[in-house]
Amino acid sequence: MENGQNILVIIPAYNEEGSVGKVVEEIHTHLPQVEVLVVSDGSTDRTSERARARGATVLELPFNLGIGGAMQAGYQYACQRDYDIAIQVDADGQHDPKEIVKLLRSLEEKMIDVAMGSRFLGTSEFKSSLMRRMGIFIFSRVISMIVGQKITDPTSGFRAASRKAIQLFAFNYPQDYPEPEAVVLLHQCRLKMAEVPVGMSERYSGESSITKIRSVYYMVKVLLAIFVDCFKKPPLLRQEGERC
Amino acid sequence: MLIKIQIIVGVLSMVLLWITFELIRKKRLREEYAILWLFTGIAVFLFSLWPEFLLSQFFVRITGIFYLSAVVLIAFFFLLLIVFHFSVVISKLTGQNKDLAQRYALLELEFKELSRRCLPSDRIPL
Repeated sequence: MENGQNILVIIPAYNEEGSVGKVVEEIHTHLPQVEVLVVSDGSTDRTSERARARGATVLELPFNLGIGGAMQAGYQYACQRDYDIAIQVDADGQHDPKEIVKLLRSLEEKMIDVAMGSRFLGTSEFKSSLMRRMGIFIFSRVISMIVGQKITDPTSGFRAASRKAIQLFAFNYPQDYPEPEAVVLLHQCRLKMAEVPVGMSERYSGESSITKIRSVYYMVKVLLAIFVDCFKKPPLLRQEGERC
Repeated sequence: MLIKIQIIVGVLSMVLLWITFELIRKKRLREEYAILWLFTGIAVFLFSLWPEFLLSQFFVRITGIFYLSAVVLIAFFFLLLIVFHFSVVISKLTGQNKDLAQRYALLELEFKELSRRCLPSDRIPL
């Protein structure tokens, strides 16, 4: 950002009219030089209008594709417009825009392809239900084992991706449970990643897509999806300069 | 007893074959599905005409089950194939559908930007 890099913040949003405006505004105050893309995933409320009113570019999907499809559309946009770095931030306000700088710094200093914000590294106190923490703990163990690197918070959707990772994600992004699966995908494609301690706050509005009762079901499904991913042939990386 | 079952199964398979032909004729069924359904119909029809059909004898010998059960088994096997085929097709369609939605959204955004740049401000669509 200091050396003239193009940075895009991607915010996937599905019916988040209550919080998306505030998130976009905060990003603009903390990082005036970045561009913000809100991917409205078939929202039926005023998400797009709110985002546009705060100066974000809005990519409107014609119907709901789910978080994976929306994220991928964002990466396709970043790939087509030749952005150097893409940062994904949740629309519900649980990711603090002030922390984006940490992700960017880590991406640059450690020479990695993806920097992932983690709630469990370092000092940040993250309160959440026991069930949820246990689920994340199991994911963390399984994924760390697969990728051969300690990943403390594989469900975190607060990430910064380099040009190489943007190109990979534009062509190939997991659809169902994108965050944990994307970590496995990165490992399969031999891209480097690292975690960065960040603080996360309560969501401004709306419900988490994972309720208590469903969390066990969700966990089993994600583990199955990761298990299946291990058998998939890793996608070929595109060459720099190839059309997106 | 056996002849009654034979007639029922025969009529059912002929109805199935007739429906399949009609749907193909009206182009409501794609060839790849049509072939599977035609085979199912023909297999069941053969059973009704000829209970001592080679394959049925084979099934009766290895499983020890009765004629009708053998028919059901064959039909079940074909249904399994069809359902499996559907899963593959649906997976493919879902992926293509997603790709289309993404490309549509990107093009729409690009189009809006272009028209904002090219058209006089009072003629911007939307």
